[in-house]
Amino acid sequence: MTNEQKRKIDGVLALSLSGLAAAIGLFWLVYILADVIIHGIGALRLSLFFNDPAPAGVEGGGLRNAFVGQMMITGAATLIGVPVGVLGGTFLAEYARGRKIARVISILSDIMVSVPSIVVGAFVYSIVVRQVHHFSGWAGAFALSIIMVPVVLRTTENMLSLVPWTLREAAFALGAPYYKVIIQVVYRAAATGIFTGILLSIARVAGETAPLLFTSFNNNFFSGNMNGPLASLTVTIFQYAMGPYQSWHSQAWGAAFVITLFILALTIAGRLIIRWRYKH
Amino acid sequence: MTAEIEIEAINLDFYYNGNVHALNGISLPINARQVTALIGPSGCGKTTLLRCFNRMHDLYPKHRYEGEITFKGKNILGGDIDLINLRSRIGMVFQKPTPFPMSIAENIAYGLRLKGIKKKNELVERIERALRHAALWEEVRDKLNSSAYDLSGGQQQRLVIARALAVEPEILLFDEPTSALDPISTAKIEELMAVLKKDVTIIIVTHNMQQAARVSDMTGFLYMGELIEFGATEKIFTNPDKKQTDDYITGRFG
Repeated sequence: MTNEQKRKIDGVLALSLSGLAAAIGLFWLVYILADVIIHGIGALRLSLFFNDPAPAGVEGGGLRNAFVGQMMITGAATLIGVPVGVLGGTFLAEYARGRKIARVISILSDIMVSVPSIVVGAFVYSIVVRQVHHFSGWAGAFALSIIMVPVVLRTTENMLSLVPWTLREAAFALGAPYYKVIIQVVYRAAATGIFTGILLSIARVAGETAPLLFTSFNNNFFSGNMNGPLASLTVTIFQYAMGPYQSWHSQAWGAAFVITLFILALTIAGRLIIRWRYKH
Repeated sequence: MTAEIEIEAINLDFYYNGNVHALNGISLPINARQVTALIGPSGCGKTTLLRCFNRMHDLYPKHRYEGEITFKGKNILGGDIDLINLRSRIGMVFQKPTPFPMSIAENIAYGLRLKGIKKKNELVERIERALRHAALWEEVRDKLNSSAYDLSGGQQQRLVIARALAVEPEILLFDEPTSALDPISTAKIEELMAVLKKDVTIIIVTHNMQQAARVSDMTGFLYMGELIEFGATEKIFTNPDKKQTDDYITGRFG
């Protein structure tokens, strides 16, 4: 066999193996999505959004409590996580630029991104839930915000670093103090990138279950109280899917479909914004 | 020539990164309301010198000035200098146009707001004046609220000049302002400089020797961090005292 033939065979082999690997991955992804869509759409009805759960075993009812609780927890997590992440990223890219501490924090935050979310849940359980002796929506929001911060921080840092230095120099040359340069010029230049990072970080935490199990727990009743246990879609899906009732399973499918759609929409919006941004 | 001196470097040394000696014993008087050109080969220190006048180097760590730059009788290299005030009096235009990501009008208003001008009608009036001053008004009067990025490169550079002019600086520093522009835009900027020097003192760094000869009254030739020769532009380009200067302007090196 000549060297050339050998290389051709190697090429075909590598192509087939990587193609197969991609196909296996894609198969399960499509399978899961299709499963969620088929079961989910059938379970969708208005009562799912507007009714609270019926007593266990009784047909009907909905997951209004979980939808509202999910929005409250995710919303509060965003309100805590986004400012901390954006300001932290600003510190790294602007004030600590080029210093060792910036490098260290960047690496730490990359590690934070890959910490299993259940560890974050257990951490918040021990420092919040154990101390106040009860589960709460705030604890859940806090846990989710811990997951958000490194994502927002790193995106902000990267987006700010992409803004050319001459733009900052031009603002300095007009006699602007640094904080005005950042807020009025650099943030504007990086706005779409930072916004995309925020969207993706919301998508990242909206599907989390593990950190909420230990923190906001769950609530079978409608509640608007962030200081008490709060229902969330993800924990409800977990509980209902494990439960014995057919109506629970069906509602869990419905909830899974809605949350998947929500995360998909956020992710696609984020990608579209990035593409739109770099075309202009 | 007995022109009034606007700003003057006296025995100026500059170091960056701790100990890289970039400028060595520069003494250079800049005449008021004239154009002074700084020429020299790449890496000779001309841009470094320009950035000393508005202390742009202060944005970066490990720099050190020695000597003096006197502006209105005061050494601006002193620690007691308010850089924000200094930079609003000494404007700068960069090599690549640097419009901010906002509308044309907002770009000009940015510097004005920094100066504390907030009244709507005063802003409108001064935006128009600055744009007229930079010979851009006729081209943008109907699209003041559209993005500055929609302008051509040459228009963006004139917008940046207008933005610098709006805060009424006493000196304008130009760092190779036309090296990223086409010949027609370049000609417009050069014409503009001839008009502007009635009101402001201009220092321009340029790679383009014909440009230095066309626009400037005085020229300084720098080489390896030293000011080799400084004098009237006509003399520098026709009958320089130093051989190095002659070699550079006749294209024998650089």
